[in-house]
This record gives sequence, C-alpha cells and structure tokens, in this order.
Amino acid sequence: MEREIVSNAFHHANWGIPIAVYFWLVGSSAGSFVISSLGWVFGIKKFKPISFFASNLSIVQLLIVPVLLVFDLGQSTRATHLFPVITGFWHASAPLAWGTALVASYPVGMFIYSYLIYKHNEYWAKIFGLIAVIQACSTHWYTGITMALNPSRHPNHTAMAALLFLIGAFISGIGLLNIILKIRDYFVKEEDKVDPTMIVGLGRLMLVGLCLDIFLVFSEFIHMTYGTEEEFHVLELVTTVFRSPVMYLYIGCGLAIPLVILVSPYGKKTNGVLWASGLIAVGIFGMRLGWVGISQYSQTIF
Amino acid sequence: MSSRSYGLQEPPSLGVKGKKRYAMVIDLRRCNGCGACMMACKVEFDLPLGVWRIWLKEENRGEFPNVRKVVVPALCNHCDYPICVRNCPTEATYKHADGFVLQRFNRCIGCRACMMACPYNARHLLPGERTDPQKPWGVADKCSFCVHRVSRGLAPACVASCTARAMIFGDLNDPESEVSLLLKKENVSVLRPDMGTAPQVYYIGLDEGGVSDPVSCDKDRSVALKDDYHAFKKNHHGLQFGDILEGEKDTSPLGFTRQVVGHLKDFTVDIFEKLGIIGRH
Repeated sequence: MEREIVSNAFHHANWGIPIAVYFWLVGSSAGSFVISSLGWVFGIKKFKPISFFASNLSIVQLLIVPVLLVFDLGQSTRATHLFPVITGFWHASAPLAWGTALVASYPVGMFIYSYLIYKHNEYWAKIFGLIAVIQACSTHWYTGITMALNPSRHPNHTAMAALLFLIGAFISGIGLLNIILKIRDYFVKEEDKVDPTMIVGLGRLMLVGLCLDIFLVFSEFIHMTYGTEEEFHVLELVTTVFRSPVMYLYIGCGLAIPLVILVSPYGKKTNGVLWASGLIAVGIFGMRLGWVGISQYSQTIF
Repeated sequence: MSSRSYGLQEPPSLGVKGKKRYAMVIDLRRCNGCGACMMACKVEFDLPLGVWRIWLKEENRGEFPNVRKVVVPALCNHCDYPICVRNCPTEATYKHADGFVLQRFNRCIGCRACMMACPYNARHLLPGERTDPQKPWGVADKCSFCVHRVSRGLAPACVASCTARAMIFGDLNDPESEVSLLLKKENVSVLRPDMGTAPQVYYIGLDEGGVSDPVSCDKDRSVALKDDYHAFKKNHHGLQFGDILEGEKDTSPLGFTRQVVGHLKDFTVDIFEKLGIIGRH
C-alpha cells in the first residue's frame, strides 16, 4: 500500500558532533592512560619510559572534555547543577549524574599518578595508578552506558555498548599515543627518543584489541540482521545514510585495513604500526560519529 | 510484581484512594485533523517556531481512488514509568503524584538526556532566542497536560479546543469519569507499549491507522514534508545530525565531512555566543 507522510514533528537532533568528539577524546584518554599504567602499576618494565608522557597526554585530552560538555548544554552556566556538593541534590538513577562524578574525579586521579611518577615514588604510584586505571575504565564505560540506557534508541540499546566503547577506547588510545610519540621524537634529544621496538610492542597490543573489536562488531551486525524491524532499520541506516562514518571510516579504515597491516610483515615495522595507528584513531572517531548520529536519525521515525 | 520506578518517581497512583490519576483518551475515529489542538497549545505556551508540545502525524494511505487520510495527535504520554525522569541528572523532570510528568525549568541544564530517553520524541529544547526574553530558553520542554489549567478545574488547552471532541481528559481513579468509562467500553491501545513505560495517553482506533508504525513512516517521506523541513531549517543554524539527507551528495564521504565540519563550526560560534563575546544572530 502506498503511504505518504504529510506532516510530523522533528524533535530529534539532541546530541551532535561535540558529543561524538567527547566520546572519542575520553576514550583515547582512557586508552593512553591504560598504557601509561602498564609500566608502573602492572610491572611491565619496557613500557616505563613512556608512562609519564602517556599519562600527561591523557590529562591533556581529558581537559578538553569539559569545554565540549559544558558548552553543549542549553544552559552552560547551570553546569554546576550537576554537582551535589553545590546544589544538594543528586539523582542516582541518571547515568549523567554518575558520569559527572567520574569525569570530575578522573583527571584528579591522573594528576596524582603523574606527580608520583615524576617523583619516582614506586609504592604510591602503584596504588594511585590502580585507582586511576579503574577511574579511566569506569569513565569510558559510563559513556557507553549513557547511550545504552535509552531503550528507544535501537542502535545504542545494547549490552555490548560499554564493551564496544572500552575496546574502541583502548585501541584508539594506543593509536593516538603512537602517533604523538612519533611526533615527539622530532622535538627531543636522541637519547630521549622512543625505542622503535616499543611502538611495535604497542602495535601487538593494538592487534589484540582490534580482533576483539571486530568480533564485537560482527556480533552486533548479526544481532541487527536477525533483530526486530527497528533494528533492521538501523542496519539499513548503517549501510545507506551513515555508510561514510560507519562502513568506510570505522569498519574499512579503522578495522579492516589496520588488521591487514598488523597481521602482515609490515605490521612488525615501525612505519606499518604507525600507519595502522593513525587509521585506527581516525576510524574509531567514525564509530563515535555513527554511534551518536544513527540514534538521532532513527528517532526521527517516531 | 516488581516496580519499574527508579529515581525521582512517584509510584503509579491508579486505584490509590484520595489520589488523582489523570489520563487522556484520543478517539481517532472522531479526529478530523483540524490542528486546533496544536494551535491552542502553541498560543497557551507561546511556543517558538519549530517546536511542538502536541503535533499531528498525518499520513495519506492507499492508491486512488481508495485513498484516505490518517491523523494521530502525538504528545507527551505522561508515562507511569518515564525513562526521561529516570535519566535526568538534575531532577529537573519528575513524576507528579497525580500522574503528570512535569519539567522544572529552573533546574534544567539543557543536557538533553531526557530527549534521548523519550521513546515518543515528545520533548524538545527551547531555542536560545525567544520573542519574550523572560520566557525559558535553552531548556528541555514538553507537554505538561496543562497542569496550570487542570489545577484550576479547567481542561487542557488542546482538549478544550478540540473541534471534534476527539480528546477526552480526566481522572482514571474516578470510575464515573468519561476517561474511565471509555477505557472500560472501548478497545484502546497505546503508542510503543514495548518500551515498558505504561503511557497514560490512550488511543481508540490506533490499530486502524498506520502512522504509529514508525519504520514505514520513515521509508516514505513525502517531498512536501522534506520541503517544509528544509524551509524551516533555513531559519536555523547549519545542518545537524538527524537532518533529512537526500541522495548521494550528502551521504558521500565528502558530504559527510562537510556536515561534520559545519556542525563543529556552529558549535564553536555557539561557545562565543554563550560567553557573550558575540551577540546572538
């Protein structure tokens, strides 16, 4: 039967690109920080030389986040309403209330950890590093949960959301770290330059995360294909309107090509890992764009 | 039976002695799609261009000569288990004991978590520029079942203005009220029962419609609707995610990049506007 919609309301563009950028930045920050903690918290000595730099990089990434979040609010000056210390009310059932606590406390934890590394205080760095790692994972876990706890947003309402976010964060964080470490090499003395085997080692870690991410995406696609009509509609959106960020940028540029590079002999060379790193960092941004954008678009149908 | 009431929510007041439980019944067999409800609501709340507390979903169905028009007035469903209330970080929105889901503008920060949560697309953000600057702006807004009128013994503006008497409002705890009698007598249905929100806007004749089927609505957007939407968008900032995209041009990598850059540009300008460094428009 032919149908023609004559009128409807469009209250749909809620969260846009600033939120996608925020997801990407907070994820990369968490990824960088996990690498930073490998040396001082988990005792993998070969990562110690980059711990301080990686930790500071994640602090810088996270400092951009409040700017994005606060100015994305309709009433930026009321951002203080999110802090129970100021207002006296806290809505525990809202994911954003928990998120505020995490986003506010995570940089503090990282600052303390960074300071302790700077002072070479092994004992306390291990303790505070562990706390900060939990904060890092929780902060990024919550971003996935924030999106997942909206039952009407079919692309987001999946128990895999938090895992997809975390794994994506891990690989994009390593990717961005690799690139910035390489850029840093141009500005530091010869003895301070990063050992090329370190970058290759990070590439191996990235490969593990990449395989896990591909497995999760594959599962998600199967779920959509055999899902309800709305889930199938999401699959249609992924392959049509949002094919640029999801199919080309995320799956093509962010997952498939880096996988080919990393499993090939080229993946054991610094240049290969750097190419894969760049592609993954950009590709995960495509995932964040798609993740936020598709849910906005699919909501227009109601 | 387990409760789905989390956070700042009153438990459902159905059958609780001494409490009201307001609900609305919309008889789609009577609705003629005149739009008086929309107009009355717009006037009652001085709503700006592009946002609605109640709106009509209109659809033409069938092939000539067997054509008919289907109209569904849509508004906040004042759910018994509202996801928007659950997800609001500042307790700006809450479930009133009498069944209303209400919004406190002074607490709202405009984070739009409630809009993300609402399965009915019933919430909107009031734009930054209002004709009357004293009116709320930059905060989430929604239908309040005209609580200010109901508390004075009046019907909501949309109900009072309905030319076909298709909208009926009343107390479900009163067994003699018209809504109670209609719910007993008629075969009613609600929008999106799968969301588990227990909506309090009931429709008669919804199953004969078709507009409630969300996916088919999206697949067959009319050209007129697209034109109207783009005309509206010309008065607003840039292109946003969720805008209706047409053809290869906008979905290509280049088109998508253009959108992303455009959106970020608007966001940057918005920061300066919010800081008061540059004037609004």
